[in-house]
Amino acid sequence: MEQLNRQNYRKLYVQLYEKIRKKIDEKEWSVGFQIPTEQELCEDFKVSRATVRSAVLELVRQGYLTRQQGRGTFVSKKVISDKLTMFTTFGELFLEAEIGFSTDVLAQTIMMPVDDLADKLNISGDKHIIYIKRLRKVDNKPILIQETYIPFHICPPLLEEDVKKNSLFELLEKKYEIQITGVRNYFDVTYLNADEGRILDLSESSPALVLTQHFFSGETQIMYMRSIKRPGSFELLIEFEKKIGDDRMNYKFSKL
Amino acid sequence: MTESKVVKDLMIDVFEYPHIPYWFTIKQAIMVIKKSLIETEKCFHPLAILIFDEKYNLLGTLTMKDIMRGLEPKFMRTPTQKAQVLEEEETSLYLIWNTLFTEESKQLAEKPVGDIMVPAKFFVEPNDPITKAAYIMIFRDLGLLPVLDNKKKFVGLVRLIEIFDELSNVIIKE
Repeated sequence: MEQLNRQNYRKLYVQLYEKIRKKIDEKEWSVGFQIPTEQELCEDFKVSRATVRSAVLELVRQGYLTRQQGRGTFVSKKVISDKLTMFTTFGELFLEAEIGFSTDVLAQTIMMPVDDLADKLNISGDKHIIYIKRLRKVDNKPILIQETYIPFHICPPLLEEDVKKNSLFELLEKKYEIQITGVRNYFDVTYLNADEGRILDLSESSPALVLTQHFFSGETQIMYMRSIKRPGSFELLIEFEKKIGDDRMNYKFSKL
Repeated sequence: MTESKVVKDLMIDVFEYPHIPYWFTIKQAIMVIKKSLIETEKCFHPLAILIFDEKYNLLGTLTMKDIMRGLEPKFMRTPTQKAQVLEEEETSLYLIWNTLFTEESKQLAEKPVGDIMVPAKFFVEPNDPITKAAYIMIFRDLGLLPVLDNKKKFVGLVRLIEIFDELSNVIIKE
């Protein structure tokens, strides 16, 4: 068996995980195959038991392997999809419960789609759009700018809703019965313009994480959201849990 | 007289007109006019964009004339010395015609529309008589008036064309 590279900066259990995963993906170890024991893997790769356990545990967690007590560990038929394709509800970006946060509504108005916004929302250039811009703060410190664009005809009353206190998702789904059935997320790094820097209390051209999201109800795109996160203080966690009849994906910030 | 007619009888929906926030640039306003008015071949009068603030309060209006005026280079705004000659026949202006709306105008197009819009200073209320709306429009040379409920909430627009149509019926009625 191949040796792991101890000079590589990446942790040994990660390298071992990738080696085993490659064997499964390339069908060298097929579904139902009983993988070598922990002891055997230790000897083959010259690593500690803890390293083997970490790698195997991660493969079990992701569904590539399954443990059968008293019998061993086997390659399983993977049941969790690589693509996050099924959603029925979403939480907005939120913070862990014990963190107090506040929201400032910087804008709640109407505009026409300019630049590439019509393409992003898949609408014609003469359609009105509800534009909502909010600033999320923790301990009065700005951490996130969120800009939301919703075609006016999708939900006209949103223009007058209290989006400081209420979640847009709850308003759409529960009050106006517009179900969100899908989302596309894109992550990137951006460099703040002068206005964004001023709002986040950073200098112009500072780097920041930007998350852009396209939300769908059936085949129709109903919302485009762009969130810019101030570096440091909080990390963004996206977790997906799949339960029968209640698929859910949540976003949250965890304090570093 | 059409004393029974009030503004709300002739009011039109605000969404008949494009809306943009004051921070949009003149260049963005041009794109909105092209997409929302020219390409859709909407023929209402006046052809204008409504300008709003962050809280959806109406700040002003912007027409094609306002945009072109906003893109004029500085030297266009300087009056010619020979006042007795029609300005457009002034030979020193020949250079201007050949350089209209080029480089300096491109830079000016990055200005916010808030700098060049016609502020919405005048308004009527839904139950005001249409003759009041007519008076304000004529006296202030406006083609469009916002209608505010309780002097606060923007609920519609009234236009000179509908006012004219209604008032003129009285005149031509036999």
